[in-house]
Amino acid sequence: MSSSLSKLLALLFAFALVGAACGGSSDEATDDSGGDDAAQTDDAATDDSAADDGDTVDLTQGGGVLAAVQARGTLNCGVSGAAVAFSFVEADGSVNGIDADYCRAVAAAVLGDSEAVNFTNLTAAERFAAVQAGEVDVLMRNSTWTQSRDTEVGMDFGPTTYYDGQQLMARAADGFSNSSEVAEIDGAVVCTNAGTTTETNVSELAGELGIAITLQTFEDYNQVVDAFIAGTCDVITTDGSGLVGRKAQQQPEGEEWVIFPAAPFSKEPLGPVYAQNDSQWADVVNWVVYATVIADESGVTSSTVDDALTGDNAEMVRLLGGEGELQTKMGLSADAFYNVISQVGNYDEIFARNLNPVGLERAGSANARWNEGGLIYAPPAR
Amino acid sequence: MALAQPIPGRSQHERPPLWRDAAVLKWLIQISVMVVVIAVLWFLSRVASTNLAAKGFEVNFDWMSGPANFQLGEGIDTVPNTAGRALWAGMVNTLRMAGAGILLATALGIVVGLARLSSNWLANKIGSVFVETLRNIPVLVQIILWFFIISELGALRNADSPLGESGPIPGWLYISQKGISLPRVFYADGFYQFMALLLILAVPIYFVNRSLHAKRDREGGESIAGRVTLGLLLVAALIAWFANGIMSFLEVPLYAIEDAWRAIPQPLMQTVLMLIALGAAFEFVRRFLNSRRTPAGLAKLTDDDYFRMVFAVVLALAASVIVWIVWPGLSSWIINSGGDFWGWFGDKFGADVNDVTRGSRPIDAMRPTIGTGRFSNFGPTGLTMSVNFAAVFLGLVFYTASFVAEIVRGGILAVAKGQTEAAAALGLSRSQALRKVILPQAFRIVMPPLGNQYLNLTKNTSLAIAVGMTDIVQVGQSVFNKNNQFLAVFIIWGAFYLICSLTISVIVNYINGRLAIVER
Repeated sequence: MSSSLSKLLALLFAFALVGAACGGSSDEATDDSGGDDAAQTDDAATDDSAADDGDTVDLTQGGGVLAAVQARGTLNCGVSGAAVAFSFVEADGSVNGIDADYCRAVAAAVLGDSEAVNFTNLTAAERFAAVQAGEVDVLMRNSTWTQSRDTEVGMDFGPTTYYDGQQLMARAADGFSNSSEVAEIDGAVVCTNAGTTTETNVSELAGELGIAITLQTFEDYNQVVDAFIAGTCDVITTDGSGLVGRKAQQQPEGEEWVIFPAAPFSKEPLGPVYAQNDSQWADVVNWVVYATVIADESGVTSSTVDDALTGDNAEMVRLLGGEGELQTKMGLSADAFYNVISQVGNYDEIFARNLNPVGLERAGSANARWNEGGLIYAPPAR
Repeated sequence: MALAQPIPGRSQHERPPLWRDAAVLKWLIQISVMVVVIAVLWFLSRVASTNLAAKGFEVNFDWMSGPANFQLGEGIDTVPNTAGRALWAGMVNTLRMAGAGILLATALGIVVGLARLSSNWLANKIGSVFVETLRNIPVLVQIILWFFIISELGALRNADSPLGESGPIPGWLYISQKGISLPRVFYADGFYQFMALLLILAVPIYFVNRSLHAKRDREGGESIAGRVTLGLLLVAALIAWFANGIMSFLEVPLYAIEDAWRAIPQPLMQTVLMLIALGAAFEFVRRFLNSRRTPAGLAKLTDDDYFRMVFAVVLALAASVIVWIVWPGLSSWIINSGGDFWGWFGDKFGADVNDVTRGSRPIDAMRPTIGTGRFSNFGPTGLTMSVNFAAVFLGLVFYTASFVAEIVRGGILAVAKGQTEAAAALGLSRSQALRKVILPQAFRIVMPPLGNQYLNLTKNTSLAIAVGMTDIVQVGQSVFNKNNQFLAVFIIWGAFYLICSLTISVIVNYINGRLAIVER
């Protein structure tokens, strides 16, 4: 009997542990929501009734992520670390790529220093949880903007920084060419990342085409590519940019990898992601991206930014903090976007620096300037 | 007034005031601890649900019947219709891994443990190196290492390949970077008929065995009971293998049972369930009181005893309330699934849906094949371990086997040397001494730590995620990445591993109880 009693106690203890674990995560959630909704409504109430300084601590928290980042002095930025040309950890430990540069751009705008970034490598499966827990302030992890992520998953998406689309990569030795069709992968072992849109896309497409594939998913994109190189995977699939980058870097001697189909079979708009319901922070991140795009439209680069500050282009003068108080109203310093352009560069510079080396060209793609047939467009700064 | 005055000399027989009464205090502490625990759990879950609701996430399980939208690498259903089905496939993969791992780790561990005790220098040293290397490298490292090793094996080539079909034994065994494939043995159509006939034939054999034993006990001499029984069973199996077709008549009574079961009215089932619960409680209390009965009458019952009896009755009453009021669907579910079971069982004897008479072979096998075409991949015929499965499997088996080896070695060494000598003095041969004296005692020592290793192995299967094997954890991650139901998936994970671990504990405890020395 005593053993059955102890079993009962053990069961209760186990549930208590589960409960404690849930409590732990919810505590973190409390901190967050304190920053988001609850504290904000509280603040409104206190501002009306008793406008004394009793709640100053609450007020700084009420500032949300922006105030937290400014108080901390560094930006916590979630990246992949395994996406060549987007965010790739180099041998010396530095992180390079378009996503990493946009992390630096946000840091330059908020903190005035593009190097005040604390990069966190996240797998596809853990990225949104990291945003929700407040582990990272912003996620620049080549993440696709989808309806469910925007709503059900509780994320908000900034302006798209790279318009991508899913493709497949296979060996030319298996009889593939750049003009191959998706249906030709019937019978293949297809590898991709767990917890991604690519996993869903290829599963659905296989169902539609009526082909049988074995879908093998890994946590880390490095593992996917390694398994492809080893031969365990016949085909790998992800966003076209991810395939091009890896092909440029890792295609072995004497082997020919081909990327197909010519037209991607999905839309993958990639851009910054942050937790929903913090408009102030959302505005900051969005306008950092827009600032790089406007600078590109106006032809202002990191080397000509000083001239533009005192130049004739009124929009650029406003944007760079030469006059008006557009930036200070946002909670940033007046020269926030001046720092972005001078320290990181405009959209074209960022694109050319990171994506041209792996063979991704801007001209003629969806990522061209809007007045040159592309989709890169920013609202006016006024 | 006068009664209020304590009478000297009798005061120690009176009950102390409530706040100092040990019996009351004990109950009070029990109840208050329970209240605190429930309150804490309630508070934590409230905090979690309020905060999650504030962020717009509600924990629910509706998504289980929603679409999964992704394929799985391996398992019973690689293209699951619903998220719940995907999780189930992941659970089955975990269970397969744990079950096969436990069996192989035990077998390998026993061999290595015995090798370490061997006086053969080579076997001894190989055993030592095996144990000392493998148990000192973290299992995650070993799993990743196996994954790399298997990934670097030769390519799988089908018969179309100019280099010829890959091996090592084409048509029978393939070991390659695409995985390992063996012939698959499976239950064929005649399996249930075979088992039924074997069961019938076993009845007379049981009586023959009993009479032979009785004869030996009466007359003494060498026992032939074991050998005769084994021989008869083999003959019976042979007969059942070929003649099992005659058992197909069982279809009729089984379908009759199905119909009868389905005809049970729901109130009757509810009454039966309630009677079972109340009867069990009554029987428990009766036996409990009997166990407290002494020749001098009923022994004094402690608070704990009362608590148990009250608890049993309360449980039975709660069960009755559940059956009648809270969950009346339970009874109809039992009726339906009982009918389904008997129907399924009847199908195993009757003709199949297309009215094709069942084949009579009880067990069949298929050889592995490689599909032809652009890619060389395993066909569905063989028993195939994917690279990911094989890596996790080998990592877990070798790691756990090194611990099992030490446990087995320790268990055997823990049996006193005098036992061996006593067995020798009785004239038992070395193998007899091992079988009848040493190992039974060693098993008793080995069982509890072995159970711990089984628990470890089962929980370590969650490391499968490191190499992308589709276990419950990986599938769960894919699920909550799409719908954000972290907490719901965590609850499922927790409940699943808890049930697995408790099941293993119960089995190990049962074996322990059977092996324990009966003390008086």
